[in-house]
Amino acid sequence: MAAETARQFEALEAQARKIMFVFLNAGYEAVAPAIIQPAGVFLDAIGEELRARTYVFTDPDGHELCLRPDLTVPTCRLHLERNSGGKLPAKYCYNGAAFRFQAQSADKAHPREFRQAGIEAFGGSDRERAEAETMALVVEALKAAGLRSMKLRLGDLGLFRAILKAADMPPRWRQRLADQFWHHDEFHAELKRLATDPASTSRRIPKALAGALDPGKPEEAEQRLAEYLEREGIELIGVRGASEIAASLLARLADARSAPLAPAIVAAIERYVAVRAPARIAAERVKEIVREAGIDIGEALAAFERRLELLDKAGVEVETAEFSAEFGRALEYYTGFVFEVVAPGLGRLSPVAGGGRYDRLMKSVGAPDDVPAVGAAIHTERLLAAVTGEIL
Amino acid sequence: MSDPLILAVPSKGRLMEQTAEFFAKAGLVLRKTGSERGYRGEIAGLDNVEVAFISSSEIAANLKSGRAHMGITGEDLIREQVSDAAERVEFLAPLGFGRADVVVAVPRCWIDVRTMADLDEIAVSFRRAHGRWYRVATKYLNLTRRFFAEKGVADYRIVESLGATEGTPAAGTAELIVDITTTGATLAANGLRVLDDGLILKSEANLIASNAASWGPAAEAARRAIMARLAP
Repeated sequence: MAAETARQFEALEAQARKIMFVFLNAGYEAVAPAIIQPAGVFLDAIGEELRARTYVFTDPDGHELCLRPDLTVPTCRLHLERNSGGKLPAKYCYNGAAFRFQAQSADKAHPREFRQAGIEAFGGSDRERAEAETMALVVEALKAAGLRSMKLRLGDLGLFRAILKAADMPPRWRQRLADQFWHHDEFHAELKRLATDPASTSRRIPKALAGALDPGKPEEAEQRLAEYLEREGIELIGVRGASEIAASLLARLADARSAPLAPAIVAAIERYVAVRAPARIAAERVKEIVREAGIDIGEALAAFERRLELLDKAGVEVETAEFSAEFGRALEYYTGFVFEVVAPGLGRLSPVAGGGRYDRLMKSVGAPDDVPAVGAAIHTERLLAAVTGEIL
Repeated sequence: MSDPLILAVPSKGRLMEQTAEFFAKAGLVLRKTGSERGYRGEIAGLDNVEVAFISSSEIAANLKSGRAHMGITGEDLIREQVSDAAERVEFLAPLGFGRADVVVAVPRCWIDVRTMADLDEIAVSFRRAHGRWYRVATKYLNLTRRFFAEKGVADYRIVESLGATEGTPAAGTAELIVDITTTGATLAANGLRVLDDGLILKSEANLIASNAASWGPAAEAARRAIMARLAP
């Protein structure tokens, strides 16, 4: 239902004016990034899953382009273009079309062309304040558009990272668990492997090579690997060089020599990822879990609680907001706080708004360094349906 | 009389010859009507069948849309081009020719990558080192996405490749590939190796019926006649 009739179009426009009024009043500058985006930059940032739903095409000059599947990445590119490096603080708002392929079986809550109204804030130094402001402003805009009742969901990847950091384990295991956090089944499989049989992946290394490599002498590894490839008549092809492959093999051999992950730590991680409760109760539960495991994540917990206070002060009903440890939204670019707003009648798979912190996205679209960034967007067709009571 | 059955068969190459042999063994002789260079034909002695000689890559699309009632093509092409294959088409018989495996292959020098799980494990470190996801060259976009999703591999990027896919890792335009192989010799010659659990599909030519085509009495009768000859 992408504004198929004049009446729908007018209703969406009227709603967008109310939303944008809230954003503009809060000091966000209205921008209109390009609808057609270079596919390369965009797709490297979002991953193949969303790429499969992105309309990609080649223009007559042979350039690979796409119709933007969301407005966050285009706004990042706009910010980068305006001030090289993207370091200067800026706050933007927008209302515009985004496009995603939907399978033929998709329902009306998932149109292939839809309009997102959103905000993005770059370079804010007070992290929790910026996050609370983003969420509070989106909730205010939803209310201004007439949404009477909503359910809020929160997540915080910072808590998980803090637990990993405080728990005793080799740094590469931390990295691996953090990388796998997004993939539910793989994450649990990896946790189990580290707890029971960390040597398992080293057994797939050919014996002759495993014997030649010494995790205590990483500086020799590349040479040993090169010798092995030479002997076996294997050519080194592609950009992934011998040093990279050798480092990966060494990590596995080091895994084989490491003691398995302590049961208390495994239990703490598993209990943490299972936490799902109203936000304040969740904070208490997390405190209990880390206390029992004997690890300290005071700073991350303080940030979590401070954010709740700031949200509370800004008029967001945090008492009923649900915290879910595993909630990270489907897009992998989020790096910290995340939130989602679900409207009655539309269900969890069709949130009317969502957003969070994405500190690494600017770098992946071309900034020299990471830039602190928080943003959120409203799915305006769903919002209109929720407000008018039309069942999608 | 209602519309005839349209049978889509490959218009050239080894696949066309093998298809003709397959039908001939059952006493069904395919022959062209009109010019020898034309693309229309019939089966000698069978009424209500119109043979359409089309490029094998387009047969799947014809079965999907229902323009052809029956056709002969590789299972790989159906699985790739018809997302709801179970509803749109019916696999009537595997034919024992046109065999090819659709596989995931990586450079042989990737000693640390033997399985899809290994592939997943190096994704993030690859990105840290090179500033982008590794690229998978393939013409099987949908098969690749489905298989990688099943195996829990999400951090990659597909680059579409319509020919000489095996050469892309050495040329530096992709890091790994998803492609068909019969003996594995071409892969090896290009410095590639199939992952231990990298078999996506064992494909061969199949006789396939379209559920999307309009099956009138004449087409139904022709189908029964063909099937009776093939499986007496």
